[in-house]
Amino acid sequence: MIDVSGLTMCYGDALAVDDLSFTVKPGLVTGFLGPNGAGKSTTMRVILGLESPDRGIALVGDRPYDSLTEPMRQVGALLDAAAVHGGRTAAAHLWCLARSNGIGRGRVGEVLEQVGLGEVAGRRIAGFSLGMRQRLGIAAALLGDPGVLMFDEPVNGLDPEGIRWFRMLMRRLAGEGRTVLVSSHLMSEMALIADHVVVIGRGRLITDTTMPELVERFERGVLVRAADQRTLAVVLRADGASVSEEEDGLSVNGLSPARIGELALASGIALRELTPRSASLEEAFMELTGESVEFGAEKAA
Amino acid sequence: MTNVIVSEWLKLRSLRSNLYLLAFSTLSVLLCAGVMFMVTRGFDNQTGDDRLVFESMGAGLGTGLPVACFVMAALGALSITSEYATGHIHTSLVVVPRRQRFLFGKIPALVAVTLVTGQALVFAMHVAARAVLGDRAGQVLLDGQTLGASLSDPGVLTGLLVAGAAMPLVALVGLGLGAVIRSTAGSLVALIMILFVLPVVAQTLPSPWRSWIGSFMVENLPDQIIAGAAPGILSPLAACAVLLAYPVVALTGGAVAIAVRGRGAKPLVVGGLLTALLASVMMIPSGAAASTLPWKSCGGELECASIEVPVDWSKPSGRKVSIQVARLPATGTHRRIGTVFAIPGGPGGSGIEDLKKRGGGFSTLRQRFDVVSDAPRNTTDLGVIPFACLSTGPWITVPGSRAAYDRLAARNRASAEQCRRSDPEYFDNLDSGSVARDIEAIRVALGEDTLSFVATSYGGVVATTYARLFPDRVRALYLDGSVDHLADHATRARLRSESIEAQFARFAAWCESAALCALHGRDAGAVWRALTAAADRSPVPVKGERVTYSGFDLKVTASADVTSPGPAPDSPHWQRFARAIDQAVRGDASGFADIVEPVTKSLKVPSFRGMNVTHCTDGLAFGSYEEFRRMKRLGERISPNFAGNQLWHPLACVGWPAPVTNPAAPLPADRLPPLLGAGTWTDHAVVANIVKAVPGSSTVRYNGHGHGLYLSGNQCTISHANRYLTYLRLPPPGTACEPPTTS
Repeated sequence: MIDVSGLTMCYGDALAVDDLSFTVKPGLVTGFLGPNGAGKSTTMRVILGLESPDRGIALVGDRPYDSLTEPMRQVGALLDAAAVHGGRTAAAHLWCLARSNGIGRGRVGEVLEQVGLGEVAGRRIAGFSLGMRQRLGIAAALLGDPGVLMFDEPVNGLDPEGIRWFRMLMRRLAGEGRTVLVSSHLMSEMALIADHVVVIGRGRLITDTTMPELVERFERGVLVRAADQRTLAVVLRADGASVSEEEDGLSVNGLSPARIGELALASGIALRELTPRSASLEEAFMELTGESVEFGAEKAA
Repeated sequence: MTNVIVSEWLKLRSLRSNLYLLAFSTLSVLLCAGVMFMVTRGFDNQTGDDRLVFESMGAGLGTGLPVACFVMAALGALSITSEYATGHIHTSLVVVPRRQRFLFGKIPALVAVTLVTGQALVFAMHVAARAVLGDRAGQVLLDGQTLGASLSDPGVLTGLLVAGAAMPLVALVGLGLGAVIRSTAGSLVALIMILFVLPVVAQTLPSPWRSWIGSFMVENLPDQIIAGAAPGILSPLAACAVLLAYPVVALTGGAVAIAVRGRGAKPLVVGGLLTALLASVMMIPSGAAASTLPWKSCGGELECASIEVPVDWSKPSGRKVSIQVARLPATGTHRRIGTVFAIPGGPGGSGIEDLKKRGGGFSTLRQRFDVVSDAPRNTTDLGVIPFACLSTGPWITVPGSRAAYDRLAARNRASAEQCRRSDPEYFDNLDSGSVARDIEAIRVALGEDTLSFVATSYGGVVATTYARLFPDRVRALYLDGSVDHLADHATRARLRSESIEAQFARFAAWCESAALCALHGRDAGAVWRALTAAADRSPVPVKGERVTYSGFDLKVTASADVTSPGPAPDSPHWQRFARAIDQAVRGDASGFADIVEPVTKSLKVPSFRGMNVTHCTDGLAFGSYEEFRRMKRLGERISPNFAGNQLWHPLACVGWPAPVTNPAAPLPADRLPPLLGAGTWTDHAVVANIVKAVPGSSTVRYNGHGHGLYLSGNQCTISHANRYLTYLRLPPPGTACEPPTTS
């Protein structure tokens, strides 16, 4: 469990995180979403004790991170896959980390196998691709078999197979009852991974909800095309729906597709299309964060 | 914490670059050997005294030490800057969130690696330097050191261990700086500034800043910790504190810098307290004496002051007299050891005049000592007793009977009274014991616990008297051509006879070989013996004067010229002595009168009352007529050419009116440090006889003519004397110095 409450963080005059509060629950994969510069990394760095907030607190399992004596056993984190010394072998790198938290050497081999780097354990990291480094970073996070896992943009550099592997890994970790927080700026990616989403923009919480809820919130009614659209509109309105006419169909709100079908049949109107419609998550994301994009492209006048 | 420490050890070990860096540190050994090679080239190209001015290479670490230090410091800096450079620092701080634990966790591994490597390097440097220096290492230099120091020399092993132990401290400086600066390049530049640039900058400062600032440079600290030979003014404790302060300050800075979250107060306070503690150790006065004398400049670097002492030391509250004291202050380039007191000869000479005329000879000693001397109360021209009275005296004759002995006594007494009546109390208190007590009063006024002495000629009597009266105040005592106050008349006569006979043999040999000698082609010894024997029966007149020379007169006059032939190869004094003999054989002693007259304004050597005031109260007189007879017979037995000569000084004291207040007495050998003596052909035996009174003492024999080696600037002897006075190291028995070869 991760608890962030009232977190505020300034860099000089710039407000990086603004009174941010959310909770990451165990057993779920929580997506941490926001455009570039929204404050995701800053928040994660605060949670991990790398930055000290100006106000507010971040607790991991009810304790501040920097009070943990062997933090790797409770929290595994991947912040920046490039933050390794290229001169060490993968195994040596992990062994240095493991030893600092009193983790046995056996775990090094285990996690390397787990992330698929078993064969290159003895190779120096300098020769690793970005994807391999991501896997190494994930391996480091897993070393202490922690109950809380945090990954900052973990799929960068991963190939499609790697992304799929990562998704399954996240599912499994959450399935084991762990708390999993994954940040990303790609909603589509999150849609496939997350059970829960925390969306922030310009350092402020935009929404903190379950994935189904988010999907529901952006339902956009049902698209109906029929032979006699004008009649159907009257029938549907009579049943309490709000109907608006579009170019080649009706946009119906307030009725389920099933009910629309029944009413059409009863009226003897042939349906050509009956499509429940929702905004794409991407669109939803844009809608949510539209005003908070810090480095967005200039809007057309 | 253990986990973090082991983890940091793994980090250090798992990087090949660290191994390469350590391998690179062996460069320091090569550098040492290279520098030594250049030194040996230069040394071999020099001869004689020119070799003495070389600077000691000490244990041979030299330029290698800062290089080794730099590599160790770089290792320390890299152990953290490489984490910043790669970003690994974030990973590290996530796995070890307590930042100071993370930083300090690096210390044990770093210390272990650099300590082992450092010690190995230091000893390798030493061995390499020794190997290149070879036999040259043993050469004693003007500053009292040898060209190279060996492991068996005191302090050298400790010095190497300290230098090796400094490596981890320097590595920690690197670590602390690295934590502050974060950039590898920046840290290395800072380390280069600290280890290489600052010392060079310090060297360009004017003295004494150069030495003062230079003393705080890392490379100079190990030597100061062992109170070694290199420049530096810090006491061992202070140097130790400074060396520790470097990593403490750097790590405090690092600990504050790494705790960016405003938790910096704690390390800042701890580090500040530690630094203050170390600084306070530094402030403990390093044995600086608190002189109460009001020194005033009196020409050049010389400072003068005066001190009131009782005329009669048995009446401390009685009448006072003022003694002039002069000082050549320490130059402040090295940690001050104390005061060297130069006791002048005579009796009747002024040490202040010696410092004025020959003070330059003390320049090396002044790196570590104040050099102090005085115009003793028995200085001939002090003026309390009229100079005109002290600067001459009666002619001494050898009494042939008890009645003649008594007549001599009456004549001496009457002569002494001429001077005594101007100030009887003062006159009676001009013995070496009073002079020694004056020096003790000066010591107290200087605020010194102990004194180191350079005692020339009759100054040796004062020095041995001081050593007997105040043995615990003697740090070192160097006797240079000193007069023996300890031996009995017989021993003294024997030693004096031996040396003047040996010297006369050299004169005779010279006559045989040198055409310049007026007696060339004749047996000079036989001519001299015949002349003196005949003159004792029938004195030789000085043409045109109502003065005759007995054999005794001839010998007394000749002894100075025999002892000092004058500059080689002409030996002008031997030439005029040979001419004088030649002339005297033909019935005219003018040649001898001509030797005496310009110096004494007298046609025969007068018995100087200015010397006798001290000689006689020091107990130089014969105890009785019988003792005189015994000594006379002894001389006739052992000294074929100069029998009777050794009677001259004691006979002057027969009938002396002032009591013997400073009779000879044995030295308290168990309370004195070993002594060093030095003497020429004519002085060595006497000096050796004095120093043997203290076990472990040693001498330097100068195989040449003269009297007084330090003040006359003999570099080889000065080297050994400086070594003794500075480091209390004595030359091995049988050490000799050769006269400089003249081209």
